[in-house]
Amino acid sequence: MNKLSELHLDALTEVFSIGAGRAALSLSEIVGDEVRISVPSVQVISSEEINSTTLSLNDGRFGAVSQHFSGPFNAEAVLLFTEDQALKIVSDMMGSQMSIDELAEFEHEAMCELGNIILNACLSAMADILNFTLNSSLPDYTVASADEILHRLKESSNQPYVMVLHIDLAIEKRHTAGNLVFLLSSASLTNLVIHVDQFLGKIS
Amino acid sequence: MNGISAKPFDMKDIFNTLNLGVCVVNADGKVLLWNNWIAKHSNVKETDAVNRSLEHVFSEPVSPAFLTALKNTLAYRLPVVLSTALHRTPLPLYNPSDTDQQQSRMYQSITITPIQSQLDESCCLIQVTDSSTSIKREKMLRSHSEILKKEATTDGLTDICNRRFFDAHYEMAVADAKRQKHPLSIFMVDIDFFKSYNDYYGHIGGDNVIKQVATALKSQLSRATDIIARYGGEEFVLVMPYLPREIAEQFAEKLRNAVFNLAIPHIKSRPYNQITISVGVCTGIPENDDNLLNKADTALYQAKLKGRNRCISLPLCEDEEYLEQ
Repeated sequence: MNKLSELHLDALTEVFSIGAGRAALSLSEIVGDEVRISVPSVQVISSEEINSTTLSLNDGRFGAVSQHFSGPFNAEAVLLFTEDQALKIVSDMMGSQMSIDELAEFEHEAMCELGNIILNACLSAMADILNFTLNSSLPDYTVASADEILHRLKESSNQPYVMVLHIDLAIEKRHTAGNLVFLLSSASLTNLVIHVDQFLGKIS
Repeated sequence: MNGISAKPFDMKDIFNTLNLGVCVVNADGKVLLWNNWIAKHSNVKETDAVNRSLEHVFSEPVSPAFLTALKNTLAYRLPVVLSTALHRTPLPLYNPSDTDQQQSRMYQSITITPIQSQLDESCCLIQVTDSSTSIKREKMLRSHSEILKKEATTDGLTDICNRRFFDAHYEMAVADAKRQKHPLSIFMVDIDFFKSYNDYYGHIGGDNVIKQVATALKSQLSRATDIIARYGGEEFVLVMPYLPREIAEQFAEKLRNAVFNLAIPHIKSRPYNQITISVGVCTGIPENDDNLLNKADTALYQAKLKGRNRCISLPLCEDEEYLEQ
């Protein structure tokens, strides 16, 4: 599993940081307040290695927004936040218009939108910088336990690779950490590497 | 829409009958399709919308977030959702049934999906649903489920917790006390000579006594951590964490007094001629298979044997009793 060098990972971190910047801008427009998103690291591991530590999953329940992508490479992208944090993010984004209780009815849709903004921003940055376009499904939102999530990630045996982006999101004073996970087939990973190589070839 | 005319339905009819707003714009943001739903709710006819820029079709401004989303979908071919929670009313759409002078905009959920036209032009399909009905429905379901949840855990006669709630709460309270190593007290309370009260005063009178006793016992509780439940016919149980054994004993005495002070006449009850209770209490830090509830029940049995209208306290483990003696 040495397809990706440090250089590749650096390039991907840069691409996703640009995506994160775009997502932050879109979110700031909606929230009317400064939103900062950063991607401190990108990791590519085999899905067998994935566990609660690599995803910093602890006990409790998680909100997961997922979209399926197809094109030069196929992937399922899943954005994970703890359920508590997900609720707080949504409540911050909505301002003080309603209580946490009332939020429940909006949570599902709002989380879909939040995930959609972050996922699309990362994808559009990849499209611009690495020069390919992908098709995507609409986002789905599910709430699950860490075990259920790990089980699902490991289940997809035709996607043996996992690209994990650690994401920091700050809205006003609240700071939240989440993970964006891309499930990749071996062919998809190879294609991704080819595109990153082309990009690196252009700049060197 | 022409390629599917062999179907038994005219797709245009279906398109116009849909109970959601559908519109298609091309890469320049010009409207290509505009269904009846969106015409009705925007008050803009299809003929006035088609071939005009979506942004300028309406007489009121469209939200900037909607325009950004549309632009992004056209540029990157990625689908976008605009949730009610974060946008409320991106498009100037109204419900014609609202007769108010000051109409308010309809709450909307919007999805924008990239599609290709048959001329291979990149377009966007915009779907709009009215989310005010789903918000109303969800509010109603939630208030129903709250009522049902309350009913499922409340005793119908006394309005205190029922046995089902107690069973679940007891298990959690014991687990908490075990984990945090703090004392837990269980009080078993039984109304003395209740059967003879029922026989003499009738069942309605009996029910009334149960209600009054439950209220008197409940009024003694002040901490959020404490609960009282109806355990069976004329039996009640209280669960209280963090009390030292002496305080628990004093509290049992308070319960007994509270009921005694109700001074409900009961001429078949000797020697007091009024309603009294017996209380069994067990306090301790639970370990392994210790059973606080059984111990409290044994204490209650002893209180009955020793003449009723009294409280008996037992420690959870026998060693403590030896130490105290």
